[in-house]
Amino acid sequence: MQHDTELEELRRQITEASHFIEHAQEQLSLRVIGQHDVIRKVFIAMLVNGHILLEGVPGLAKTLIISTFAAAMNLKFQRIQFTPDMLPADLVGTMIYNPKDMEFYPRKGPVFANVILADEINRSPAKVQSALLEAMQERQVTIGSQTFPLQEPFMVLATQNPVEHEGTYLLPEAQVDRFMMKVLVDYPSYDEELEIMIRSATTAGTTPVKPVVQPDDIFKARALIDRSYVDPRVQRYIVDLVVATRKPSQYGMPSLEAMIEYGASPRASIFLLLAAKAHAFLQHRAYITPEDVKAIAYDTLRHRIRPGYEAEADNIKPDDIIRQILQNVQVP
Amino acid sequence: MNTKPERKTAGHRTRRLIYLLLVLLPIAIFYPQSRAEGKTQPIVTVQVTPDSLLVGDRVHCIIDVRHAPSEVSALEIAPSDTLSERSFELISRKQPSSSPIPGIGHETYQLEFAVFGSGRQLLPPFFVVMRNSEGKETERISFKPSTSVFVQALTDTSMHDLRPIKPPLKPSIPTLLLMPIMLGAIGAALMVLLLLFILKRTVSKSAEKIDPGHVAQRKLRKLGSRLSAGMPPPECYEELSNIMRSFLEHHYRIRALEAVTQEIERDLKKLGVAGFESIMNLLKQADLVKFADSRPDVEESRQSLHKATEVIRSTRITSPPEE
Repeated sequence: MQHDTELEELRRQITEASHFIEHAQEQLSLRVIGQHDVIRKVFIAMLVNGHILLEGVPGLAKTLIISTFAAAMNLKFQRIQFTPDMLPADLVGTMIYNPKDMEFYPRKGPVFANVILADEINRSPAKVQSALLEAMQERQVTIGSQTFPLQEPFMVLATQNPVEHEGTYLLPEAQVDRFMMKVLVDYPSYDEELEIMIRSATTAGTTPVKPVVQPDDIFKARALIDRSYVDPRVQRYIVDLVVATRKPSQYGMPSLEAMIEYGASPRASIFLLLAAKAHAFLQHRAYITPEDVKAIAYDTLRHRIRPGYEAEADNIKPDDIIRQILQNVQVP
Repeated sequence: MNTKPERKTAGHRTRRLIYLLLVLLPIAIFYPQSRAEGKTQPIVTVQVTPDSLLVGDRVHCIIDVRHAPSEVSALEIAPSDTLSERSFELISRKQPSSSPIPGIGHETYQLEFAVFGSGRQLLPPFFVVMRNSEGKETERISFKPSTSVFVQALTDTSMHDLRPIKPPLKPSIPTLLLMPIMLGAIGAALMVLLLLFILKRTVSKSAEKIDPGHVAQRKLRKLGSRLSAGMPPPECYEELSNIMRSFLEHHYRIRALEAVTQEIERDLKKLGVAGFESIMNLLKQADLVKFADSRPDVEESRQSLHKATEVIRSTRITSPPEE
């Protein structure tokens, strides 16, 4: 009974602490129409210190969502357009010589912000990509001989276009694995598109967004998320899903064996649990259920599964493989 | 006058006798000893089988030699390079066999040749060597057999490789004998297939007859008695959740065992199941015990079991929706 009371107390605190998300969502809805799923995933990543790779054709409000999100969350926002001639110094900063006192001073790059939009990350060469991905992982940047920690919260949202691959530098699997989620941005529905058109077809400026969140709100939420209860059954369910991507035969899916070249890494298990916790937080729950795991399974696993030759020949996408895994692995 | 011609006749007779002796003496001297001892010329017969064959095939040759009983014969084949166009290649020869024929010496030689070339081919020449009882060669007779074989060249005539030995032909089983066996096998296979079909239908019919509601109620009764026997309530709720999911899966034909509670709720709503709120309440309560570490007491567990039994009873009255 004492445990029930503790969880109830935690649930109450979570409900209270998650109000800021509702406020931020209200601000977002002033500018962004639809894309609720993408917005929810951005909040999830922010709550558990993750990064997101956004994939979608141009013009789906990816930049608008992120800039509005940063504005509503009262966070410093930087948009970096990745180009083929970019250098790592353009991203992290460099040492500048001051002739007055004849000394070098570090000049911080655009990566020193809370929310980074790495637009078209696959347009720049590998050394620039790796500089950003290193900053994402280490959460610090070295300029010259000095190391600077990045501001918290720090979140990178990288975008890439799924159709134009000419002149791009494909992100290596090891670097893609560092993104907590790969979110697919889809076209808005008919009604949403109608509303977008009516609201945006004006010469007036964009609707202003008020900052309604303080960084402390985010840190408080993170602390509560860490305290959420995860039953061993759910933990095992997460591991079952990840292992099923590597050894599908063990879970009664021998046909998937040839479809998967390699399965998800242990990072997938970690991020699945973290994202599931954040998902439960958004539902004002202090415990995780398999529903939370299923809700974020596609986004957390799709960039960690490499379909094999047979899958590519049959036009089977990672999402199809994940769907089959979710349908066959028994829920606790 | 008469004495003179008589004298002349006697002298003539004497002279005739001398001439006869002079003629007979060398004959008596040079008359062969063997002939004197009853010696006869050896008789050689040659047999070949088959008389028509393909190039590279083997031919069996039997040479039969009959001679005087006091002698022994031996057979010598001319070396292969002197054989006519190298058409015959000696493969093997068996030890000569002799059969006792009274008053006659007799040996049989069995030879095996590989035949090459093409067209009609005469057998190669050979020598019959006669030896006396002391082993001394008394005679060497050369034979050129007139026997021939016809060689059919299906391949290149320059072929000098040996053809493999043909496997012995097995007597073929008459088709009439095979027919009943084949018909019997087909009949047996059909019988097995028919039995399998009947068995499958029986099993599926009996499976259809099993009412998932009945099974679930029996399981719930057992669970109730286990709870009374001291089963911990969390375990009871886990079991209850499994029973309910299994019932829903079989009764409504939805994927309930691999689905989360929200997915079951969505499916039941779609099917328009009466009393689905009660089912969802039970599942959500079980979820709280399973995932939120909620600790209900025994009385709460008993009430949940009772509710589950009622829910299943009420759904059994209403038939499952048509697919």
